[in-house]
Amino acid sequence: MTPGSTPAACAALLRRDLTLAWRRRGDIAMPVLYALIVATLFPFALGPEPQLLARIAGGVVFVTVLLAVLLSLDQLFRADIDDGSMEQLMLAPQPLALLVGMKILAHWITSALPLIVVAPLLAGMLKLPAAALPALVMALGIATPLLSLLGAVLVALTAGSRRSGMLLALMLLPLCVPVVIFAAGAVAAAQEGLPWIAPIAWLGAGLVMAVVLAPLACAAALRIAMDT
Amino acid sequence: MANWVPLWLHRLGSPPVFYRFAGAVRPWALGLALVLGAVALYAGLFVAPADYQQGDAYRIIFIHVPSAWMSLFIYGAMAVAAFVGLVWRIKIAEVVAMESAPVGAAFTLITLVTGSLWGKPMWGTWWTWDARLTSELVLLFIYLGIVGLYHSFEDRRQGARAACFLVLVGAVNVPIVHFSVNWWNTLHQGSTVRLVGPSHIEASMLWPLLTMMVATKLYYIASLFARVRADLIASEGGKAWVRDLLVREGGAA
Repeated sequence: MTPGSTPAACAALLRRDLTLAWRRRGDIAMPVLYALIVATLFPFALGPEPQLLARIAGGVVFVTVLLAVLLSLDQLFRADIDDGSMEQLMLAPQPLALLVGMKILAHWITSALPLIVVAPLLAGMLKLPAAALPALVMALGIATPLLSLLGAVLVALTAGSRRSGMLLALMLLPLCVPVVIFAAGAVAAAQEGLPWIAPIAWLGAGLVMAVVLAPLACAAALRIAMDT
Repeated sequence: MANWVPLWLHRLGSPPVFYRFAGAVRPWALGLALVLGAVALYAGLFVAPADYQQGDAYRIIFIHVPSAWMSLFIYGAMAVAAFVGLVWRIKIAEVVAMESAPVGAAFTLITLVTGSLWGKPMWGTWWTWDARLTSELVLLFIYLGIVGLYHSFEDRRQGARAACFLVLVGAVNVPIVHFSVNWWNTLHQGSTVRLVGPSHIEASMLWPLLTMMVATKLYYIASLFARVRADLIASEGGKAWVRDLLVREGGAA
């Protein structure tokens, strides 16, 4: 890769974001810890009967992961906007959409991937039948990048605003309804021994669309929110 | 051919011209909306026959259905205004889009409330996780998100442009939500009024419904124009035309 070319810039940005995340390893553990805490609260609130827990396990894991991703999304562009590197990215000769896509990828690797790794553990705590585990992991593997991409667009929109925490949740909810429906639908189907590939395929179609469109939308939203 | 239509539209993009235009149109739209609304309500509540299955409880459709249409119609109008505002950077279009959102949210809320009032005697429950109810609720959240984003910026113009972008994102999302929740769960009855083909509704019930639809459209225009006027005064506070306006109105009073 020649220095200054688009692939080199993307690789450099990805390496930078991953290094920054690695230097603050404690932050990576936070969403995982949060998901663990939320999932632990459900048996206390609903009672420890295995049948009841098994019935709701898939949905609880999805909502928990969704909330954990939402919590970490706020940090996606915050540091870069505060220290001015976002302006540098906007002025860079490389397309902003690609660079933002790299940032989203780095964010997904550092915040969502650990969640996918612990998801089987959460599901086990909630007595999800082992037969549904492949569906759960696969659905999470497609749903979390989709959530990161959709969330990134909204985070970019709130980048220039004063408060964003609750607002982000309010704006993300309508976008994530279809994702939750299809992801939880796949797990529910797997639990009942039905074929579960159709909802996964829908999720995959959504992901393909989001991979193409979301970085472009995110770049446009950043330009609006940063007013350049 | 005279080119006064594009010329007039072009001039309407200027805040003082739009302010005067909105002020002139608003009383007529509001008056006509009230008259038509009263006629439609009277016809719906007293003239139209009772339903053979639902009795008098069906009469809520004269509020519920026009509100539901408006909740989607306003989203459409808002999306067009937001697109125009973002692409051509026309300030009036941004303001129109932003001030449509609270009106749309109000109609969505009316739809949900009247729907649950009707659902209690008919379905035996205030709320059910049916596809249409859910997508209407999600629509309400989208409206509230737009209003919230608009007001979370220090700079009104910047907030308007960010929220306009959210309107377009929502416009892509609404059909996706609609189809996914349909796939998920459905209980609501199908449409009885159709644009193409015969409607499954008695003519004596249809005309009050359509009158109410026109009344809600006019009410939307009246309400929107009042809000746009207020927004323009607030955001253009330092401009000369607002000062002149104040001097003139103050002198008249």
